[in-house]
Amino acid sequence: MAKQTKNTSSDKDQAEGKPAVAEPGENGQTTVAPAPQKDEMVHLIVFKLGAEYYAIKIEQVKEVTITPAITRMPRTPGFIKGVTNIRGDIIAIMDLETRFQIRPASLPPDANPNVTYTLVIEAKDYSIGVEVREMPQSLNLPVSRIDRAPSFLQDINIQENFIEGIAKIEDRLIIVLDMHRILSQEEINQLPNA
Amino acid sequence: MKRILIVDDSFYMRTMLKNMLSDAGYEVVGEAPNGQTALELAKETKPDLITLDVILPDNTGLDVLKGIKAEQPDMKVIIVSAVGQEVIVNEAMEYGALSYIVKPFSEEKVLEVVSKALSEEPKQ
Amino acid sequence: MKSREEEYKEIFIAEALEYFDSLNRHISTLEKQPDDDQTLAEIFRLLHNLKANSKAIGYLQISDVSHKLETAFSLIRNKELAFSDEVVAVLFDGIDMLGELIQNVDNPDQGEPDPILLRNLDIIVENLSDSTIELTKVQKYNTSKNLSLSELIYIQIKKLDHMMNLVGELMIDRDRIISISKELGNDELASVSSHLYRITEDLQYSVMGARLVNIGSLFNKFPRIVRDVAAAEKKEVNLELTGQDIQIDRNILQIITDSLLHLVRNAITHGLERPEEREKKGKSRVGHLRLRAQSDRENVLLELSDDGRGIDLRKVQKTAVERKLVTEEVAAGLDETETLSFLFEPGFSTAKEVTEYSGRGVGLDVVKNAIDSIGGRLTLETEKGKGTTFSMLLPTSIAVKGALLFEVNGIFYAIPLIHTDQVVALDKDELHEVGDVLITDLKGETVTVVYLHELLNAPEADMRLGDKTRLKGQVQNIIVVSYNNRKLGLIVDKLYRQQDIVVKPLSKPLESIDLYGGVTLLGTGKVCLVLDVPALTRYFINRRQG
Repeated sequence: MAKQTKNTSSDKDQAEGKPAVAEPGENGQTTVAPAPQKDEMVHLIVFKLGAEYYAIKIEQVKEVTITPAITRMPRTPGFIKGVTNIRGDIIAIMDLETRFQIRPASLPPDANPNVTYTLVIEAKDYSIGVEVREMPQSLNLPVSRIDRAPSFLQDINIQENFIEGIAKIEDRLIIVLDMHRILSQEEINQLPNA
Repeated sequence: MKRILIVDDSFYMRTMLKNMLSDAGYEVVGEAPNGQTALELAKETKPDLITLDVILPDNTGLDVLKGIKAEQPDMKVIIVSAVGQEVIVNEAMEYGALSYIVKPFSEEKVLEVVSKALSEEPKQ
Repeated sequence: MKSREEEYKEIFIAEALEYFDSLNRHISTLEKQPDDDQTLAEIFRLLHNLKANSKAIGYLQISDVSHKLETAFSLIRNKELAFSDEVVAVLFDGIDMLGELIQNVDNPDQGEPDPILLRNLDIIVENLSDSTIELTKVQKYNTSKNLSLSELIYIQIKKLDHMMNLVGELMIDRDRIISISKELGNDELASVSSHLYRITEDLQYSVMGARLVNIGSLFNKFPRIVRDVAAAEKKEVNLELTGQDIQIDRNILQIITDSLLHLVRNAITHGLERPEEREKKGKSRVGHLRLRAQSDRENVLLELSDDGRGIDLRKVQKTAVERKLVTEEVAAGLDETETLSFLFEPGFSTAKEVTEYSGRGVGLDVVKNAIDSIGGRLTLETEKGKGTTFSMLLPTSIAVKGALLFEVNGIFYAIPLIHTDQVVALDKDELHEVGDVLITDLKGETVTVVYLHELLNAPEADMRLGDKTRLKGQVQNIIVVSYNNRKLGLIVDKLYRQQDIVVKPLSKPLESIDLYGGVTLLGTGKVCLVLDVPALTRYFINRRQG
C-alpha cells in the first residue's frame, strides 16, 4: 500500500514535468504514469534530524511512541542504538543522525532532554525503530507539494534514492525519506560480525 | 463380576485379551508383563482366574504356575501358549492348570475356555 | 476416535519394532557368545511373540519369517544347528527382512519377501547337517541403513513445539506479573501471582515431559550398527551401553542422531585397531566401545569412548601448520586442548594426514555445529595408544535454558549455564599480565581472563585486554566459560542469579550478529542480551591475533 502511494507521487512529479530522479530499474511501475490527481493528499510524520526537517509517509510508520529503555548492543554499528521491548516485541533502534552523519543540533529550550521518541517502522517481515529527539509532528499535504530536487542532495550524506522527494511548506523544507529503501539497503542487512 | 489377571509379556496380546474379557463382562484386575509381577499381582489382587503365557522374559510360565499354586493352591489358571508347545502345556496341566488356549486365539475360544474354567472346581 | 483395529495395529507395530531392535541387539551379542543361553532364550521369546502377534493380527508374512527364524534358533538352542558364519549371515538377513516387513505393513507396494532369503532360511532349518547344499548369497537391498526413531509418540512434535513456545511466552508474562505485584505490594495479587508461578512451572514441566523419550530408543540401534561396521572393517568390537533409561527431548535426540552415528562409525573405522595390531600392542583383541548416558539436573551427558589408538597431537599440530592455521613456533607451544580444538575447524578433520595417522575421519566440525545448534557442548579427550572419549553435554530440553545473569557497564547479559564452567571471585593481584592478556591460576590450571567491558566496549583500536589498570575495584567476579576445549574467564561488573530464561531470537537486521544468541526479557521488562559463547570466544581470539 505504501508503495502505491509512493509511485503515485513520483509519477506525479514526472507528469508535471519536474526533473525526475531516475528510479532504479527494479521498480518498473514508475514509468507507467496514471492520470495526475491534483487533490490527492499525503500524510507524513515529520521529525527533525540535525537542523533539518525530515518525514516518512504514515503508511510506513506503525506507531510513534516515547522511546522505552534501550539496551545497548556492544559491537554493532554506531547507528544501531540498541534493542528495546515494545509490547513484547524486541526491535532494533536506529539513529539516522549517526547513520547519515548529520550533526546533531541543540534542542529547543522547551524540549525535555530525557525523553526521545521512536517511530516504529514496519518493514516486510520485521519492525525497526527510528529514534528522534523532538516530538514528531503529523502533516497532511497535497502530493503535488512534494518535489524532486536533485541539486539539493549534493550537500548531504544521504544517498539520493533514499529520498522520495522534498516538500516545501511555507519557509520549511521537508525531506521525505523512503524507509523501505533505507532498510533494504545492504549495509544494514549485513551487519559486520564478530 | 469375575476378576481376571492377565499374564503375558506382549503388550499387544494383553491388550487383545483385556478387550475381549472386559467386553464380555469380566473385570481385568491386573496385567503382568513378567513372572515377578505376575506373582506379586496374584497375591495382591487375588483374582478368580489367571491367564498365563508360558514364555516370559524372567521365568518360565511353568515356574510362575508353581509359584502361584504354592501360595494359592485353589487359584484357577489357564495356560496361553502357541502351536508347538504341547509338551509344556501338558506339564502345566499336571501342575494344576485348568485348561489352555492356543495363540492365535479367537474371541469365542477364549470366552468359552474362561467361562468353563470359572464354573469348574479348581484343580489342586 | 480410533477404531479398535487401528489401535491394535499401532500397538502391534510399536511392539514389533521394539522386538526388532532387541533382536538386533541380542543377535550381535550371540555372535560373540554363541553359548549364551539367556540371550538365546530371549531371542526365542521375542520371535515367539512376534510370530503369535503377527498371526493374530493377520500379517502372515511376518509370522512366517518369524516362525522360520524361531525354528532356526530352537535348533541352535538344541545344538542341532551350528552357529556358523553362513548360518549367522542368513539369520541376520532374516532379521533384516523382518524389520522391512514390519516397517512396511502399511505399504501396499511392499512386495513379497525375497524368495532367495526364504529359501536360505528353509535350508538351514530343514537340511540340518547337510552342508553340501549351497546357501545363495542374498543381494542386500538395504545396505545404507537409515536410523529412524520409534514412532511411539502419537502426537506431532510440531504441536508440542508450539505448546512449548506458548508456555515460554506465558512464563515471560508471568514474570512480569510477579514483578508488578511486588511493586504494588497488594497481598491478594501476591498470592494469585505465586499460584500462577507454581501452575506455569508445572505446565512447563508437563509439556517438557511429554517430549521426553528414553535415550535407549537411539542407543539400542547401535549394537547392530557396530556389528555391521566392525564386520566391514574386519575389527572385533564389544559395545557397552549404559544409561538407556535417561530421558531427553525427542528433538534433541533427533538432532544428535546423525552426529552420534558419525562418531561411532569413526571410532570403529579410525579409532579402534585391527585385532592383530591390538595384540601386538598388548591389548585385548576385541576393541572396547562404550556409549554412556548420564543426567544431572538439566543436562544429559553422552560419552562415547574407545580404547583404540587415540589421536596423535603432533600430527594434528603438523597438519595445522601445513594448513596455515598456526605458525610452527606457536603450534609447538600449544597444549592438548588447544591442539585438539583444531579438529573442530571446518574441513580440518577430513585432512588425509589426520585420517591416516590420528584417525578421526570426516567432518568433526559438522558434528560440532549440530551440537552447538542446540546449545550443547562437544569436547574430547584422547591419549595416544589408549583411546579417545567424545563427550556431548546436551540440554534436556531446548526451549528453556538455565542461564547466569550479570551486568557489564550497565547492561544486563546472560550466558547459558551449559557454557559456564565455574564462577570465581579473585583478587586483582591473582591476575597476571602476560603478553597481551591476563592469566590466572585456577586449581592448578592456567586460564586466560578477559575484562568483558574492555572486550565489548573499548574502541577496537584501543583495546587493551592485557592491561590490569582498566579493571575496576580490587575483587573481580569471573565467569569461566568453556568452548571447544578452551576455557576463558570473563570478568563482569556485577553477578546476579542463575535463572531459567526463554531465549528470543533477534529479529532483522540484528539476527546476523552472531555475538548474541538472542535476547531474553527480564521480569522487569528489561531486555537482557544473551551472549553466544562460541562467537564471543572467536571474537576474543580474533582480537588477540589482530
